[in-house]
Amino acid sequence: MNSPILEVKNISKTFGNIKALDQVNFFLEKGVIHGLLGENGAGKSSLMNVLSGIYIPEEGTIRIKNTDIEKMNPDIASSLGIGMVHQEFRLIESFTIKDNLTLSKANIFSDNFEEAYEKYSDIFALNAHYETRINELSVGEKQKVEIMKLIFKNSDIMLLDEPTAVLTPQETSQLKNSLEQLSQEDEKTIVLITHKLKEIKEFTEKIFVMKNGKMVARSLDTKNVDDNELIELMMGEIKTSIFEKNNAKGPVKLETKNISLSNDDGQVLLNDISLSIKSGEILGIAGVSGNGQVELANVICGIERSFEGKVLINAKDVSLKGVRSRKKLNLSYIPENRLGVGLAPGVSVLDNSAIKEYFKSSYGPHLSKGKMVNYLSDLINQFSIKAPDEKAEISTLSGGNMQKLLMGRELISNPDVIVAAQPTRGLDVSAVDSIHKLIINQRDNDSAILLISEDLDELFKLSDRILVLYEGKVMKEVEIENASIDSIGLAMAGINE
Amino acid sequence: MNRYILSKKLYRNELATFYSFLIGFFIAIIVGSLILIIQEKNPIDVFSLMLKLSIGSINSISNSLNKAIPLILAGLGISIINSVKLWNIGAEGQIFMGAIALNLVYINTSIQNPNLYIILLLGSGFIGGSVCILIPAITKVLFGVNEIITTLLTNYIVIGITIYLINGVWKDPASLNFPAAAYVDESVYLPIVVGKLSSGFLICILFTFLAYYIKDKSVFGYEMRIAGGSELTAIYAGISAKQKAFFAMLIGGGFAGLAGAIELLSQTHRVSTGISQGFGYTAIIVAAITGMRPIGIFLVGSLFGALTIGGSVIQTIGVSSYIAEIIQATTLFGALVAQFFFSYEIIKKGKNV
Repeated sequence: MNSPILEVKNISKTFGNIKALDQVNFFLEKGVIHGLLGENGAGKSSLMNVLSGIYIPEEGTIRIKNTDIEKMNPDIASSLGIGMVHQEFRLIESFTIKDNLTLSKANIFSDNFEEAYEKYSDIFALNAHYETRINELSVGEKQKVEIMKLIFKNSDIMLLDEPTAVLTPQETSQLKNSLEQLSQEDEKTIVLITHKLKEIKEFTEKIFVMKNGKMVARSLDTKNVDDNELIELMMGEIKTSIFEKNNAKGPVKLETKNISLSNDDGQVLLNDISLSIKSGEILGIAGVSGNGQVELANVICGIERSFEGKVLINAKDVSLKGVRSRKKLNLSYIPENRLGVGLAPGVSVLDNSAIKEYFKSSYGPHLSKGKMVNYLSDLINQFSIKAPDEKAEISTLSGGNMQKLLMGRELISNPDVIVAAQPTRGLDVSAVDSIHKLIINQRDNDSAILLISEDLDELFKLSDRILVLYEGKVMKEVEIENASIDSIGLAMAGINE
Repeated sequence: MNRYILSKKLYRNELATFYSFLIGFFIAIIVGSLILIIQEKNPIDVFSLMLKLSIGSINSISNSLNKAIPLILAGLGISIINSVKLWNIGAEGQIFMGAIALNLVYINTSIQNPNLYIILLLGSGFIGGSVCILIPAITKVLFGVNEIITTLLTNYIVIGITIYLINGVWKDPASLNFPAAAYVDESVYLPIVVGKLSSGFLICILFTFLAYYIKDKSVFGYEMRIAGGSELTAIYAGISAKQKAFFAMLIGGGFAGLAGAIELLSQTHRVSTGISQGFGYTAIIVAAITGMRPIGIFLVGSLFGALTIGGSVIQTIGVSSYIAEIIQATTLFGALVAQFFFSYEIIKKGKNV
């Protein structure tokens, strides 16, 4: 093996008391497409940010093209040829393609721009004139420009963060060809960050796997590696703390029939989803974020109205009904985005506590503050919420207390159907524990619960059945007794045995 | 190495807005005094004269309060619209539109009972204000056009329309070439309560409580707060944020339109460019100083009315009336800076990287 073009040793980076990177070793070989695999929060993006000079690690060494880098910053990284495509595009929307490509001071094609543009737009199959403005391009085209930007500023180490997340399957296979051409003809070194096993196996030659801030596998040969092996590396061991599952199940309370949804760009977000949940049952939805979970929850709760198919609550067709009338059928929704969707920032604790049932505190146009205050104190007592003052802004509460307020607000009416998305994300252990107890308690009170989570431990612990979403489709549906972490993990990565 | 960063305080003092106002007003008095000293006037003499002539007698108090009416009503309208976190810079135009709508109804109708007629005319002023903000409201809700720009621009349009009307179709031949519409009949003048105080002030008190009720005690106010906090939360809660924004704008515009109608029926008695002397702009200052609280708007509006009267009378001793405007503007500036320090604190942080 040649000496690596880039090598980092024993890199560590902490945020507060979280170790984002823990003694990470990593290296890249020239002209090779590398894959970096890991769950959300495994440290992939942190590592990339260290390489591009955005984060400064507390310890460790970085060696690029046989020079030790004392102090890294984005300028140095860029001059050493490291370029990154972030998940959110960094293009100037009102500028033309040409302006965006030649913006960098390191632009190498200032004299022969047209020639270079012809060559690379050909490689990327980008059918747009370079005087086209960015805001006239589709998402897939924007991404092509974003990657071309790296070439134009002479980056030969290209870091691509989840480049396929926004692409259609056709665009994805096109991207694969483009990247292969770049690595072979221009000897570009490429790192592809992804969750999708299928892609990492198709795109790359070498695979690195991260888990909990550690590099758990280095430079595996893609040809010789087994899917199950990768999943095990990525997911790790599962804890076996599982709630009792001998709960009695009643009639079906929530049912969806052939739900499909596309966005304005024609990208399919949900594809023919049918599911049903009985009372006293928890259906866990597994999947890497962005595979249709949020959209599914929004369709069920009446926020997303332009779908095809049917939603039934207690055997009643509510497909054409709005949020309010579905709430009246005793449906509760705990959204993934706590502050911003579930709770309104800048608004008081009292006002936020009333969002679900404020119309019950009203007499015609009058809103009874007394009733709202009583309701809030019920919530505070029943769910042991620590709130300083009813008038305090909601964001003065801790994350755990915010979530308890939100959960309490949605659960106090003993709902028939509960949709809970990522209910424990970002919470500490004791808060997670109490939220789990609330969910199980609600199950035993005969609610039908749809639990969306990226945390497989949580899904195995709580669910009676698990359904895996991948690219808006049901990839797998399995009773918990027959579910294995490997098969769920494979399905999440888009592989069905 | 230490660095200093601004951090938002978790708890904000309940009375922070009030203290901020006091601090701002204090700074404004000092600035005003300095300017007077530069002009070789004794600030104590000037301020005591202002005080005497603005609140020294029943008549001067009623003059001050009459001046406060449009500031308060337009300020309340601005505060209602701000419940959904939108800014109405168009109160000036809405005041004129209120007067125009009143006159339009007046010259086309006739009702024997003067009390009923007055109510009808005031109502048409309110609707005039709503109509004035209709286009900014529609463009905001349908296309997301920035309401600050559109409401500001409607001011110029409406004032243009006013000038066109009073120089053209509505021009009063008896006004000896002064551009103004004909006077309305004395029977529809707003009655005087005491001294020179117009009964418009009572309407003003009523509407202060109405605005307070709408904002703080009604379902609509609650929905506006949620929609103003986060549009996504509103959608999640089944509240149409756009609908709330639309109606908040119409109501807020109506408040300013009513101010124009009261001004016409109690002060100018006809449509002229004198319907508003920048009341719609000063109302923004009033509303901003009080943190959009209706009762505060009532109090600060009254004070600013007195300042305006005080400012106009000190011209008799050779001091520009602009001193009152300088004090008003500096109060806002000082109060906003003070509010900032009540909401944030500067904390020292060790170097973290």
